[in-house]
Amino acid sequence: MKIIIAGAGEVGTHLATLLSKEKQSIILMDEDEDKLNKLDGYFDLMTVHASPSSIASLKEVGVQDADLFIAVTPDESRNMTACMIAHNLGAHKTVARIDNYEYLLPKHQEFWKKLGIDSLIFPEMLAAKEIVDAVKMSWIRQWWEVRDGALVLIGVKLRAGAEILNIPFFELGGPDIPYHVVAIKRGHETIIPRGSDCIHENDIVYFMTKKEDIPYIRKIAGKEKYADVHRVMIMGGGRIAVRAANIIPSDMKLTIIESNRHQCNRLTELVDNKVMVINGDGRDLSLLVEEGLETTDAFVALTENSETNILACLTAKRMGVSKTVAKIENLDYIDMAEGLDIGTIINKKIIAASHIYQMMLDADVSNVKCLTLANADVAEFTVKEKAPVTRKAVKDLGLPKGVALGGLIRDGEGMLITGNTKIQAGDHVVVFCMGLMIKKIEKFF
Amino acid sequence: MINQKIIFRILGFLLYIEALMLLFCSAFGFYYHEDDNVAFTVAGGISILVGGLFSYLGRKAEKRFSRRDGYIIVSTSWIVFSLVGMLPYIISGYIPSVTDAFFETMSGFTTTGASILNNIESLPHGLLFWRSMTQWIGGLGIIFFTIAVLPIFGANGVQLFAAEATGPKHDKVHPRIEVTAKWIWSIYLGLTVVQTFLLSQGGMGWFDSVCHSLTTTATGGYSTRQASIAAYNSPYIEYVTILFMFLSGINFTLLFFLLFKGRVHKLLKDTEFRWYAGIVLSFTLVIAAVLAVQRGGDLEGSFREALFQVVSVQTTTGFMSADYTLWPPVLWFLISLLMYAGACAGSTSGAFKCIRIAMLFKLVRNEFLRIVHPNAIIPLRISGQVIHSKAKITLLAFFALYVGVVIGGWGVMVALGLDMTDAYGVVVSSIGNIGPALGTYGPAYSWAHMPDAAKWFSSFLMLIGRLELFSVLLLFTPGFWKKQ
Repeated sequence: MKIIIAGAGEVGTHLATLLSKEKQSIILMDEDEDKLNKLDGYFDLMTVHASPSSIASLKEVGVQDADLFIAVTPDESRNMTACMIAHNLGAHKTVARIDNYEYLLPKHQEFWKKLGIDSLIFPEMLAAKEIVDAVKMSWIRQWWEVRDGALVLIGVKLRAGAEILNIPFFELGGPDIPYHVVAIKRGHETIIPRGSDCIHENDIVYFMTKKEDIPYIRKIAGKEKYADVHRVMIMGGGRIAVRAANIIPSDMKLTIIESNRHQCNRLTELVDNKVMVINGDGRDLSLLVEEGLETTDAFVALTENSETNILACLTAKRMGVSKTVAKIENLDYIDMAEGLDIGTIINKKIIAASHIYQMMLDADVSNVKCLTLANADVAEFTVKEKAPVTRKAVKDLGLPKGVALGGLIRDGEGMLITGNTKIQAGDHVVVFCMGLMIKKIEKFF
Repeated sequence: MINQKIIFRILGFLLYIEALMLLFCSAFGFYYHEDDNVAFTVAGGISILVGGLFSYLGRKAEKRFSRRDGYIIVSTSWIVFSLVGMLPYIISGYIPSVTDAFFETMSGFTTTGASILNNIESLPHGLLFWRSMTQWIGGLGIIFFTIAVLPIFGANGVQLFAAEATGPKHDKVHPRIEVTAKWIWSIYLGLTVVQTFLLSQGGMGWFDSVCHSLTTTATGGYSTRQASIAAYNSPYIEYVTILFMFLSGINFTLLFFLLFKGRVHKLLKDTEFRWYAGIVLSFTLVIAAVLAVQRGGDLEGSFREALFQVVSVQTTTGFMSADYTLWPPVLWFLISLLMYAGACAGSTSGAFKCIRIAMLFKLVRNEFLRIVHPNAIIPLRISGQVIHSKAKITLLAFFALYVGVVIGGWGVMVALGLDMTDAYGVVVSSIGNIGPALGTYGPAYSWAHMPDAAKWFSSFLMLIGRLELFSVLLLFTPGFWKKQ
């Protein structure tokens, strides 16, 4: 697959290196030669020093036979221009990164298609959604809905006191239990569990379940004393904070702390009245206490500086805030932050990249998510007529190692998959797999 | 720190590949009923054994390696290849001395083409083919060959490619290194096949045609005759050889665009190609004129003789159709200048490379301009692209190092007992991977009479010249081995 990525910024670079490891033909374009030099000679991709919105250079890199053109420069209108040119030159599919919520509205989709932009991606919006999901269910670290919530995948960290610790799965109960543990993250390792494995203290466990059974999971995970979130404090009033403020449920009180006065003034124009905007340094503890940190239920650190975010979250934790969310752009810090017990970690690069990765896969895969904490992907496949997966019961399929089938949705009804389940054509199956194995298991569906 | 296991593992793999090549050559012994098939079979066996030992030492290796590991792999793979590659010569008894056999093999893999053999025709076919084959594999590089045929390096291949490839810039014809390698090797193979056909039509036997084509496209210069191309005494063969030496001196990426995309413009507008063609043309004309005057008018003969020698030296091939040391001494000087030049980056040729000459020339010209216009921003353009200052610094450092190594090497060679002129010629010729040198190491002589120590030193110079100085010399810097 030939993929051209325009813009060697954070998202572009991350995506290019991710895909090049997957043996895709990647061409990365940027006008800044220094950014490209860092990659050339280390990764198996081609870098081209040229403007992504120049017709001549797009022709030069062979956009006419590109399968996917991704524009992720910092400038939204430039991305759109580049996509339009690429589409008209013959690129199969185009994706543009945007900064404007308005463009994302479904009623405008046709319009963008007509112009030659097949998909739009708004990383800040996706990040804001993750934050709000994390805050809504404060005891859950990661939350992912399949098919409008027919099934959900949740990641929970289990501590001492949870009911299901140290019991092998086969003793936990057979096919009747209303959940399926698809993966366990223990230390740096991600495990796809078998019957003889059991959950240890401090594991992050990924449950696949139906929405109505979530309270049951909360009970067995020993999380019942977690308070619901009513007050949220966000540190750093950037674009993600604005988007989060706009989609947060109305029963939550939100405070945004921003150190730049000019940005504070802008914030008051962008968010509604219920949001309190405070000008000050989020690292100033007395300021936080004054603004009610102790009565805050969730603390979200979204400054540009990953270190600040981590430290601020730790401080908030110590002051008694039960849920913390940190934006960490430095990929190497993610494992460390995880070890420091920062509840949910937001990484714009991973979010955007997994979103684009999904578009790359065949149309049968309707939904893919890279889990920030575990080195794994969750994907939703629609089973084709006569697909290999329908021939035998799940336990006899001979699926590759590191793959777990979580659940399926048949006629809008979610159900969990056990060894004896027989998958039928037309089912939507949720697959959990290690690393970037989705391409390998595609053939089963 | 240094991941020894992966280094062993990869070297093990490479030795398996070399074993296959060796066993292939033993087929010639059976076909021609000669006595070298045993030598190749034994050498192949040893290669497999050592490869197996290395694979054992590198079992369960972590699959990633650092930059340091990459440089160690590239340098040691060339040395290990030469050490194993010399076995057939020794075992068969045709080159009994280890020094000579190693020299001959290293001269082969680095496509230098200097030989210690005084009676090449007496060698059996298998050994002759092996000599040519070492050059053909070394032409585009051992690592690059492996990338094209086996995907054992994975994504790390890029790092190794960067350490082995020549020239200041590494172009790719496809985003993936594996596919790039396949395309470049098919061009290489195509050139070789076409040349074989053309040579065989000119009265050269099939076996000789194949061997000469292998060493021409590799710009190596090993011949199956002691007198090199001159032995055939055929203008047709000389012109065919000139054409293919010249083509192999062009950047293969440009050849790709020319052959598969029909972009003649891209070739003609390329700064490096223009310099390359310009140097060939101007040197040929001057030398041809001098020769024609001296010989009282043989225009075609003088032109052909001049062109052959100029192309052969500039592309660092080293074939000879005449002995240039018999020319007027002023022409020796021109030839020794050409030895520095080399052809294009990204081709199979060695030495300094035309792109660097072009850059250096423009850099110096810009400095003069700057004196007159102190505030002017004067860009250094190569093929229309502005070269950034980091590349300029690398270029100057490379130039300084190149000259430094030549001077230092010259001193060492003199200390080892060579005559001043001979020593200079040998060093420039070794480091530029050319083959013939000056004086008693000129085209008419073999290098057999060189002292043993000098042969080892010359082999070393060939290797650092082939890998463009930095890749090998890096291993001799204390900082490379220091724990961070």
